[in-house]
Order: sequence, then C-alpha cells, then structure tokens
Amino acid sequence: MRPKLGLIALLAVCFLAGSHTLFAHHGNASYDTSKTVTVTGTVTEYHWANPHVFVKVDGKDENGSLMHWTIETQNIVTEVNAGWTKATFKPGDQVMIDITPAKNGAPFGRFKGRIVINGQTFKSADQR
Amino acid sequence: MRKRSIWTILMVALILPYALPPVLSAQTAAAPPKSVDDNKIDKWNSVPLHGSAYTGVTPAPAPRHDLSGVWDATGDAGPNGPPAGIQPSGAYEHKALLPGVGNPPGGAPNEKGIANPLPYTPLGEATLEAHKPTGLGMRSVPATEGNDPVDICDPPGFPRMDLSEFRILEIVQTEDHVLILNQFFRTWRTIWTDGRELPTDPEPRFYGYSVGKWMDDYTFVVNTVGMSDRTWIDNAGRPHSSELKVEERYHRVDQDHLELTVTIDDPKMYTQPWLALNKFPLRRQPRGFDIRENYCSPSDYLEYNDQVGQPLDAHPAK
Repeated sequence: MRPKLGLIALLAVCFLAGSHTLFAHHGNASYDTSKTVTVTGTVTEYHWANPHVFVKVDGKDENGSLMHWTIETQNIVTEVNAGWTKATFKPGDQVMIDITPAKNGAPFGRFKGRIVINGQTFKSADQR
Repeated sequence: MRKRSIWTILMVALILPYALPPVLSAQTAAAPPKSVDDNKIDKWNSVPLHGSAYTGVTPAPAPRHDLSGVWDATGDAGPNGPPAGIQPSGAYEHKALLPGVGNPPGGAPNEKGIANPLPYTPLGEATLEAHKPTGLGMRSVPATEGNDPVDICDPPGFPRMDLSEFRILEIVQTEDHVLILNQFFRTWRTIWTDGRELPTDPEPRFYGYSVGKWMDDYTFVVNTVGMSDRTWIDNAGRPHSSELKVEERYHRVDQDHLELTVTIDDPKMYTQPWLALNKFPLRRQPRGFDIRENYCSPSDYLEYNDQVGQPLDAHPAK
C-alpha cells in the first residue's frame, strides 16, 4: 500500500513541477513561417475545442508513406467569427490544406490559406 | 393625326430611358437596415456583426449617462493581422512589433526597436524580460520555455482583460454600480458609482477595485487600483507593480458606438503614464444577443497539449 502511494505522490510532483510546460499557446516560435506545405488526405478527427481547434489528416508524403498530420488553428470564438462550425470537417472528408509546418519537422502545422473539403473550397475569413 | 402620333412616340422615346431605370431599381434594391437591431442573428451563441452592418445606418444620438448594452470589441480582421480586440502582440497602442513586421519569428530578449516603445524604468525593463510570452510578438518563445500565467488558465485579470482577447462585453447599470461582464473567462467587474473612495493598501485582486463617475453626459471615467502583480498587463508580458493605477474612459458616441481609452500609470515600472487603448471602438450588438461561452478549461488544455502542444515542441530545432 505504502509504495503505491509514494509512487502516486512522486508522479503528482512530477506533473505539477512540469505543469508550466504542459499548457501553452503556439505562436510563430514553433512554426517555420517561411514555408508552405500542402497536405492532401483524409480527415480522421476534428477537435472543435479550446484552446485551439485542430484537425487530424491521414495523408501520404512524397514517397507514398502514410503520414498522420495534425493541423491547428485558433480558438472556437475566433473560428466561429471566421465562418467555421462544429461540423466544418467530418472523419472521412477528402481534404487539401495549405499549412505552415512545424520547425521541428514533426507532422504538425497551422492552417495557412487554402482549404478544400470534398472538392469544395472553404473560404475561411481568418486565413491570410 | 399622324403628326400627333409621331410626337407622342418621340416624347415616349425621350422620356422612357430616364423614367424606367428608377422604377426598376426601386423594385429590386433592398431597403437598408434602419437600425443595428434589424440585423438577424442566431438566438443562441450569437456571432457579432461585421463592420458592414454599421455602414449606411444612421444611429440614434447617444443616450445620457448610459453605457448599457452588449458591445463587441473584437472588430474586423485587418489586411495584415487579426481583429483589433485580440491584441496578440500586446496592447493595441504599443504592439511588441518592429516597424513593418506584422508576423515576427519571436525570441528577442527585449523590445529594442519596436515601433512605439514604452518608457520602462530599469525595474520595468528587467521584469519585462523575465516574462516569456508564447503567442505572437517579437519576444515570444516556444511553448516549453514560456511562463505566461494565462497559459495555465490563471485569470488574465485587469487591465489585461481590455488588452487581450477583448471581445464581447455586456454593460449593466444599476443604481449604485456598473457591471462589466466579459466573454473571455466569463468573468465580471464591479464599478462602484455610490461615491465611495478607492481603498488604500487593499488585498490584491486579479481584477482590482474600481470606482466610476460621469464626467459629462456621455463620458464615464473609471479608476482601478489594487491589482495583483501576478498578472501581466498584456500578451507581450508588460509588467506592473501593486502601485498600478488604471484609468478607463468610456465615451458614448451615439446609440451604436462606444470609445474606450485606457491609461496605464505605474511609476515603479514606467517613467510616465501611457495610453494602452486610445478611443478604441466598441460596437453595439442587436438586442437578444446571446454571448458564446469562452472558458479556459484545464482539461481542454491538457487534451490539446497531449495531442498538439507536446509533439509540436518535442526536440525543438536548434
């Protein structure tokens, strides 16, 4: 019983000690704003939630390998004002999305401009 | 007979091109809205009106001693950046941006060279550099290095509520106080109008202590003290001490428009007072506007960081 409690306490301390790094917004410091990547694939998840709405897309890279992309934008209120809804994306949607890629090369990006969903262009009022 | 017919035809031919178009356009042109309240909005989770809803509308004159209503401070997105009320790079009048640079890479230690610099004291400068924002702005750092209290869902407090995520606010007036209800964090401020003095040396509060009075029929002035120095002034991490005094001036321009001016006065951090907002426009929303909930929920942040935040900053590029 006691060792288990100690382990839990240790984990709790680690969690709290690192808590400042667990929550954060990602500005340009995490993204390479000089690049644009076009992600083409199928939506697997759509998270309509704060702090940032994000979409997961299964696509293929230039070698044909499967890539699991995560593409984020801003918070719900901003996106609602830009014309998004909780139903803008659905799992299974075929998409083509321009993104600003992550600096560290991981398959992450931020919505940048063009969004095409099942062949239709979606004009988001907040993309530049 | 023939002469008359020719004359008639001639007259019709001359007049018709002028008479017909106004008749046609009167049938096809839409009548402009007479009032902001004529706009159709969703009954629930209403979306604020765009600026186009206010052009061509002649608002009624300003009511006296009256700020009440639902107001939108967000504004419309400009060609180079987000809507004005969002203020991601710091207080609107002093954005932490180099001249001509709207989208900086971040990582600068201080604000040397910004377009509209602030008059920091040495303590102000040092405290600024200890604050590491994670959003936009020239001093932003990757998420793993940031220490913005709002990143862990701490209250933004006042005056940061006016200087970041400044979106929908509702103003309600009672006999002896004014309530300002903010969409962001779904929080409120009480401004006493019963003539009481501001407290001296009060327990610090995130949102401070406020009193207000009408300077004239259309200008309401609020003074706030007692703000906890745990909070940042804005998203750029501008510092303040417990001696901070903030003045807000709400000017009712007409039925549909408010202008807000915010002055920061903190002699410990700044050598002189400075304007954070200068006649910042707030637009009245139609009656029946339902304010969408916008919370900082710790569980939402945990989910986000698990799925996006951590992997995005893993092994950051050197």
